[in-house]
Amino acid sequence: MRTAVIAVGTALALAALAGCASSSSGASASALVVGEFNPFTGPDAAFGPEMVGGCIPAVRLINAGGGVLGHQLTCVQEDTRGDPADAVPAAQKMIATESTLVGVLGPSSDEALATVPLLNTGHVPMFVDTGQAAFDHSGYPYFWRITPADDVKGYAMALWAHKAGYTRAAAVFGNDAGAQSDVPTLVSAFTRLGGTIVYNKPFALDQSSYRTEIENILATHPQVIFTEVDPQTASTFLSELQQLHGMLPVVGTEVTLQAPWLKAVTGAIGAPAMAKYFEGMQPYAPASGPAWAAYNKSLLASSSQVPKPSQWSTDPYSMTYYDGVNVMALAMIAAKSTDPKVFNAYIVKVTAPGAGKTVVTTFAAGKKALQEGKQIQYVGAGGPIVFNRWHNSTGAFEAARYLNGNPSLVGSVSAAQIAAISR
Amino acid sequence: MTASTLLAAVGFGIVTASILAVAGVGFTLQFGVTNILNLAYGDIMTASAFVAYLVTNAGLSVWLALVAGAAFGSAFSVLLNRFIYTPFVRHGTRLFGMIIVSIAVSLILQNALLAIFGANFFSLQMPRPSSVHIAGMVFTTVQLAIIAIALAAMLLIHLLLRYSKLGKAMRATATDPELARNCGIATDRVIDLTWALSGALCGLAGVVLVMNVTAFTDTTGSQFLIPIVAVAVLGGIGQPYGAMLGALVIGITSEVAAAVFSPQYKDVVAFVILVIVLLARPQGILSEVATRKEVAA
Repeated sequence: MRTAVIAVGTALALAALAGCASSSSGASASALVVGEFNPFTGPDAAFGPEMVGGCIPAVRLINAGGGVLGHQLTCVQEDTRGDPADAVPAAQKMIATESTLVGVLGPSSDEALATVPLLNTGHVPMFVDTGQAAFDHSGYPYFWRITPADDVKGYAMALWAHKAGYTRAAAVFGNDAGAQSDVPTLVSAFTRLGGTIVYNKPFALDQSSYRTEIENILATHPQVIFTEVDPQTASTFLSELQQLHGMLPVVGTEVTLQAPWLKAVTGAIGAPAMAKYFEGMQPYAPASGPAWAAYNKSLLASSSQVPKPSQWSTDPYSMTYYDGVNVMALAMIAAKSTDPKVFNAYIVKVTAPGAGKTVVTTFAAGKKALQEGKQIQYVGAGGPIVFNRWHNSTGAFEAARYLNGNPSLVGSVSAAQIAAISR
Repeated sequence: MTASTLLAAVGFGIVTASILAVAGVGFTLQFGVTNILNLAYGDIMTASAFVAYLVTNAGLSVWLALVAGAAFGSAFSVLLNRFIYTPFVRHGTRLFGMIIVSIAVSLILQNALLAIFGANFFSLQMPRPSSVHIAGMVFTTVQLAIIAIALAAMLLIHLLLRYSKLGKAMRATATDPELARNCGIATDRVIDLTWALSGALCGLAGVVLVMNVTAFTDTTGSQFLIPIVAVAVLGGIGQPYGAMLGALVIGITSEVAAAVFSPQYKDVVAFVILVIVLLARPQGILSEVATRKEVAA
């Protein structure tokens, strides 16, 4: 019996170790590598495909436009599994083995605290998708963020719920670092707006049931539920809520507007309930303009590498990944070097607005202007990029409902409103 | 914390325990008779859930999907033992080596499901359940069905082990395979039937799990493996009755912990109890009782 118990313990440890492997799609030796450093498996596996939806269209256009200083670019998946224990060795492996690595997209909030210092030490420019407020005043020179921080997300959710007239809310967030980083500003902003967070306890993810939690939440009589949990957890929780009590209005983060989340939850509670009760907040990125048109055209032409590419057409995160690759490529051309230690400083130079600068909306236009000796301001699919001294560039938020199988814009929270509540 | 909230947590714990019991009994039964710690168990649950998904997607009923899932789990487990595990055992691979083999099978199966179905979330097509009020608690028809399925499965296992020749042969094989063989028991056949039976429970558990969670992916079953192993260890490895009791303890404790403390401590409290019990009784709750009464598998 003791042997069996020891065997079980050993087996569990081995199973955990077995989970440390990362995947790579591989890249040719001569191509410059852009690492897609995000979860492709695990609870946040939805993040990775969203990143692919931005990287592939960008690289496709860059390579079609003659590449960068004679080099082609390629996107290589590095699976962090959404866990620092897996992400750290994945980062170390990537830095050690990818000799032509010029930058990464990511890390996400799941693994950023553990890996941003590593990537920075390795002189790897990173266009992160972490929203952690810890990076609001980051001193890492290779850190770049063109998505809003989570604290901004919390402000936007609180403002939107306040606008709808809700005064009692339950916070249902996963116990992972990414989700929990949304909570402090959500609570403080909603309270400052006169509301009360009546329930706020982290959820263990992927449980077989959340009925007890639902009983506890209902006992506090919330009018709305703020949430960020993974698709499986959300499906179980919301379907049980619907069955046991009936739905309540739900305001989710941008994670809840990702295709896997929408598909899973719609399957669990039904399309009519989704359309009626659910709204998600995401960075405002209008699906219009020349930069977006170029992105979308390339995205839709990338179906051999991006499954169901149209699902990312209006995804603001996919757009910012696309922009991140373009910015790095243009910075290399401006710096006349593919060495990150050299071109990293040019990232601000190709994005900052300025008198006499040529505004470009595509890599090809930017490359042409730079070759003509002009200074450029790249305005991306996600809009203008204006970095502050800590390499953060944020904007407004939009609220979307899930109607007829697509997220549809129903309103927005302006950058000025967010700035006012965040003071 | 009101008494009604606590009562509700206990009621909800019974639903969780029902799923854990079906999975845990299958897991521990198979280990008790074959001495192979099959860590691919959770992935076979997932594969069975996908079979059920295909059945319901074809417009057939969820009841048929349950049968199909159990049949797949049973057949797959028998084949897995015949063509993967048994050859390793014949070549002298010991317990720890077999654990590595089962982890390999787990990873292969998980990645095969990922390759076939993709990194997406799936739901069984079934009628939306209605709510039923029982003793101050609210259950859905699906949850009541899960409890009924678990009770029926446990009763059948009990009858099989206590009163059938196969049950006696399984107990004999588990106790001393060599002696059982010398007594004329066809142990190879018994082992095959054990894999078939535990595989059926595994498949059934996979389907009821995804009926309950409503959305699943290629890793849903493997995420459930740790509580299943905990149930088996708590009850005494190889003890089906212990697994039933272990499922009740883990299921109810985790729900009560969510009600009393915080949802994030659901697993933690259950595993603290597991550690405490194992410190006091390393052989599990029912091991000695089972041996004394000859009800061990």
